[in-house]
Amino acid sequence: MSQLIGVWVAAFLTLCIFSFLYRDNPFFRFAESLFAGVSLGYYIGIVAVNTLVPNLINPLFGDFGANAHLLIPLLLGLNLYTRFIPRIAWLARISLAVYIAYYIGINMVQKIQGEIVPQVGSTILHPIGGVMTPVDNLILIVGVLAVLIYFYFSIEHRGAVGAVSRLGVWFLMLGFGAAFGYTVMGRVSLLIGRMNFLFIDLVRITGQAL
Amino acid sequence: MFWKLRLPLALTFIVGLVPIVTFFLSTQAPVIGPAVQFARDRVERYMVIIAGFALLLGVVSVVQGSVRKIERRRPGWPFAASLLAGLVVMGAFGILSAMRVGPFQGLLTAPDGGMTPFFWMTRNLFNPLQAAMFSLLAFYIASAAFRAFRVRNVEATILLIAAFIVMAGRTPLGEYAFGWLPGGERWLPAVTDWIMTVPNAAAQRGVIIGAALGAASLSLRVILGIERSYLGTTEK
Amino acid sequence: MKLERLVNIDRRIVYLCIAVGTTLPLLLPIGLPVSSTPPVRSLFEKVESLGPEDVVLLSFDYGPTTAPENTPMAEAILRHCFTRGIKVVVIALFPIGGVTMAGEVLANITPEYPQLQEGVDYAFLGYKDGAQAAMKQMGVAFVNVFPVDNGRRPLGEIPLMQRVVNYDDVDLIVTLSTNVIAEWWANLVNAQFGTPVAVGATAVSAPKYYAFLDSGQMIGLLGGLKGASEYERLVIDRYPHFARLYDRPGVYTAIKGMDAQTVDHAIIMAFILFGNTVHFLIRRRDRRAGLRDA
Repeated sequence: MSQLIGVWVAAFLTLCIFSFLYRDNPFFRFAESLFAGVSLGYYIGIVAVNTLVPNLINPLFGDFGANAHLLIPLLLGLNLYTRFIPRIAWLARISLAVYIAYYIGINMVQKIQGEIVPQVGSTILHPIGGVMTPVDNLILIVGVLAVLIYFYFSIEHRGAVGAVSRLGVWFLMLGFGAAFGYTVMGRVSLLIGRMNFLFIDLVRITGQAL
Repeated sequence: MFWKLRLPLALTFIVGLVPIVTFFLSTQAPVIGPAVQFARDRVERYMVIIAGFALLLGVVSVVQGSVRKIERRRPGWPFAASLLAGLVVMGAFGILSAMRVGPFQGLLTAPDGGMTPFFWMTRNLFNPLQAAMFSLLAFYIASAAFRAFRVRNVEATILLIAAFIVMAGRTPLGEYAFGWLPGGERWLPAVTDWIMTVPNAAAQRGVIIGAALGAASLSLRVILGIERSYLGTTEK
Repeated sequence: MKLERLVNIDRRIVYLCIAVGTTLPLLLPIGLPVSSTPPVRSLFEKVESLGPEDVVLLSFDYGPTTAPENTPMAEAILRHCFTRGIKVVVIALFPIGGVTMAGEVLANITPEYPQLQEGVDYAFLGYKDGAQAAMKQMGVAFVNVFPVDNGRRPLGEIPLMQRVVNYDDVDLIVTLSTNVIAEWWANLVNAQFGTPVAVGATAVSAPKYYAFLDSGQMIGLLGGLKGASEYERLVIDRYPHFARLYDRPGVYTAIKGMDAQTVDHAIIMAFILFGNTVHFLIRRRDRRAGLRDA
């Protein structure tokens, strides 16, 4: 019974969202606000269950002596919320600085060691050989250089540079065209999932329950 | 000044260097190895926890905004009430699941094999709302493509041709298009594969390298304290 | 004036065509063929090369928004791994639904393999915040990030996790991803720890990942519903007993979804062609009218 109620609640909410395709209406706005509320409630649940309890609260309460250092992330985490108290909002900067700094630092390593080096290396180290034909490799090298020149704005795009830059635009257009085709595929897939729910799953589950 | 600016900037510099320095220095190195390992492990474990707190920052903002809207009876306040109701019920189920109270034993399956209340709401409210909201994009992309996708110049023509080849080549349409010719069923899929692995990869690689250079330099500006907008200040 | 009306038709007519084009093939399946592409075959062959001694780390980095694309991938890969006896460690790093998606998929698939024991043949560690920090620290020890599994069992008590300490004990990482997390597996974990990474990506992200495929940072790529259907087809072709499973009426699979996908692509292409043809006719008419007026 709980499954039957659930599946009809899900169907009703799906139709509320779809009603926006006709025009804006209170059903859609209800579902939209519920969407935001439930999503934030979901965050609370997963953060509490999966991170805060096992990685912070349990170790602190289980063996405080060995895990007292976890008071540091606890205080830094709680301190983030001082931004909602105007008089001491500046305190949150300390936690924000620590949080942003770590992720910006790791991002720098990822970008240089994990993207620039292997991507440049893969372009220039094996111009002949590898899995691609030499012609394809040459096209790839020319394409990468042309796109980079298009994005290089410190010199005027005229003459030879302008021609190469134009070639870069054509490569980008081929890439964007492919990305558009894939984006259509992705968006349609999401709809297929919902329609499958409304016309197949809903009917099947209702039939099984009745 | 020290607490509001210099300390955050100093912390940014020190913590920002941890993933960079520990990347270069081996934990096996004499003398400094254990210190490197200690700093890396502690900071990474702390960041998992702090990220949890950070994820919930948005909850407070939304609750504040919604409560204000309801208190002042602003237009659309009943929708703010439904937002809060969803948040409070789902959030409460989540917290009770974390505390393992009564039937709230974890997020997914209860000990009796049934669904926990949190999972019931996930499956029947959270999942369909998320999925339905994003599935609207299928309608919008079709409508936008019909209205705005025009062949006006060489660039738009290249884009359209590539898009058509990929849209056909990544479905059985591509196999049927020239399927009446001997071997023709492989033509369009093969051209699609070529577009994806050669010109598309070249374009994507150019964008990746360019964006990575930009992101790395921005990271450096933040670590060195030149870029401070994330602290909500441009003070020198 | 009549031509302008053709390109300014009510947008809801377009919506209706898409809705019908999606629904009809689901109700009346066409059964269109699915052929595979090299990036999908590459992942399939990699999994084929693994056996009961090997470990796959499967990361659920997607939520319900892209479940129609990612869930069929997850199910096909899990079935493939379980059929070959490969040990699987399941985690989730995407906050908006990753862990519940993983739970649902495991609940669907594991009953098909009653001989499997949780904790011995597979482990479900749950979700963790701070993706990049978690990814880095898992390179040191999974237990530092996941002190307990999703059922709150300490990792030390889980037989599988006693021998899977960090990435050194993982033979393949597969991320089923809706966003940038897939890139982090490549530009952080593969780059710093060298563990092979394969990606089941949404169609929207897939084009970018061809650059990572070429550089060897990703060893396989399933792009969107098409990629998922290809993997399903490869699994069915290699293990024919799966055909019955995938043919069950009322069960959503990527292969079945490809019928609707194909029809919708055809509709959208037809609309684009129609819009451009009318646009061309309008321009020609206006040019002629301009010449006449001149």
